[in-house]
Amino acid sequence: MAKIELDDVHLTFKVHQQKRVSFKEYIVRGLFRRGASAVAVHALAGLNLDVRDGDRLGIIGHNGAGKSTLLKLIAGIYPPTGGKRDVLGSICSLFDISLGFEPEASGWDNITYRAYLQGESPASLKGKIDAIAEFTELGDFLDLPVRHYSAGMLMRLAFSIATAIEPEILLVDEVLAVGDLAFQKKAQTRMKELMSTARIMVLVAHDLGTIRAMCNRAVWLEHGVAKMAGPTEKVVEAYIASVTGKPARAAA
Amino acid sequence: MIQHLTAIWKFRHFLYALVRLDLRLRYRRSILGVGWSLLNPIAMTLVFAVVFSSLLGGGDVPRYVSHLLIGMAVWGFLRESAVSGCRALIANESYIRQSPLPYNLYTLRTVCGQAIHSMIALVVAVLGMVIVTAATSQPTAQTMLNPLALLWIVPGLILSFIAAWAVATTFAFINVYFQDTQHLLEVAAQVVFFMTPIIYFPSNLESKGYWLLLTMNPVNLFLDLIRTPLMNGQPPSEQILLAGAALTTVLVRLAAGTTAWLQKRVVFHL
Repeated sequence: MAKIELDDVHLTFKVHQQKRVSFKEYIVRGLFRRGASAVAVHALAGLNLDVRDGDRLGIIGHNGAGKSTLLKLIAGIYPPTGGKRDVLGSICSLFDISLGFEPEASGWDNITYRAYLQGESPASLKGKIDAIAEFTELGDFLDLPVRHYSAGMLMRLAFSIATAIEPEILLVDEVLAVGDLAFQKKAQTRMKELMSTARIMVLVAHDLGTIRAMCNRAVWLEHGVAKMAGPTEKVVEAYIASVTGKPARAAA
Repeated sequence: MIQHLTAIWKFRHFLYALVRLDLRLRYRRSILGVGWSLLNPIAMTLVFAVVFSSLLGGGDVPRYVSHLLIGMAVWGFLRESAVSGCRALIANESYIRQSPLPYNLYTLRTVCGQAIHSMIALVVAVLGMVIVTAATSQPTAQTMLNPLALLWIVPGLILSFIAAWAVATTFAFINVYFQDTQHLLEVAAQVVFFMTPIIYFPSNLESKGYWLLLTMNPVNLFLDLIRTPLMNGQPPSEQILLAGAALTTVLVRLAAGTTAWLQKRVVFHL
């Protein structure tokens, strides 16, 4: 049984002018009594979400609305600064494709590292590694260090590993756009397969076609607030109407 | 804290794989391999032995060399764990942004790598000691390495490992907020190196009345736990063992406290 429950969740970032200070600067600033110039960014405000087994949730919104932040919060990377987060089930996240690779290690080694990162053991991986390598279609490239890979190749590698592990919750953040057409088709098929076994998927995408094809529910985020949530078609239509300025159809 | 430890156990394969990768990368491009990175302590020891053995070593070269080698191995471990360990969170930022693993897994990665490297140095030191003692003087029961000593240093090794991990964790968190922590640690390490009886015998300090420096020095505590059984063939005294355990507990408490305080915030600063 997998579920994602967010209860009035808030997430505020305090963005400092300088990311990392040294002791010297800290002391000097203190001596001259300059106020710490920090800006508070209210990334997510009052979010309520209830996702259960079998749901495929799409998150749409403008750039900077908080979609990726929401995904990271669900994954447990950002702890909420207010409200409650309750997530049950093994999570696999596909965020920035270049993250989490060891650039000096080969493709094969990176498969093992990422698999272990997702909680696999050598025994359970042994049976799967050939299937994973086959799905990537990278062939001999797997012997090279991954710093030589293109973005698309990295994405294939990451996606293959993530979906071979059969997570209960799959979180995908706009990565699929990088793959070529053949791989996008393949990925969609794989995700549909996953949906029959694994439980929940949360997808962030700008391509509304993908959202329509893959998701049964959608959330429209605007400046950190959930403007609308419900069945995919309704939310997507409302979003398009607001962006293109065409009058919305007779609203329900 | 127990939660963290169980989570680390759960992801132990990930940890092993990364430690192995680190070792492979470290020794990868060198012809001598492992030997290359031991060159530093061995070279330092030779220089000190040649130059200082009469001044600081009381003329007893074999004993001075053994003292130096073991001291350098242990010191190297503690110093490198602290200095490289404090970069752990920044260096592993990409994993932190992908997966909610406990942060002290990343410091453990560094400390494990250093531990393996220093164990090799220690083994070389002990072998060197045995060879040099057997070759130069009449080996008596007193000067030969007591094989039981290898058992007696185990508590010392375990305590220094845990202490190094705790120190690395604490400084790793602080380094995210204040980036010059690493440089300050390097400077402090230089100072502590000369205040600790590594290149000279403890008796040098005692005879000059700087006995307080010896007892107050935490590094000296771990050094004693490991060096004394190997050099003198005697088990570490209960007092020192208890002091070591107490110090390690304090350091662990400090690390646990820092983790609990900062773990929910540090990701926003990376």
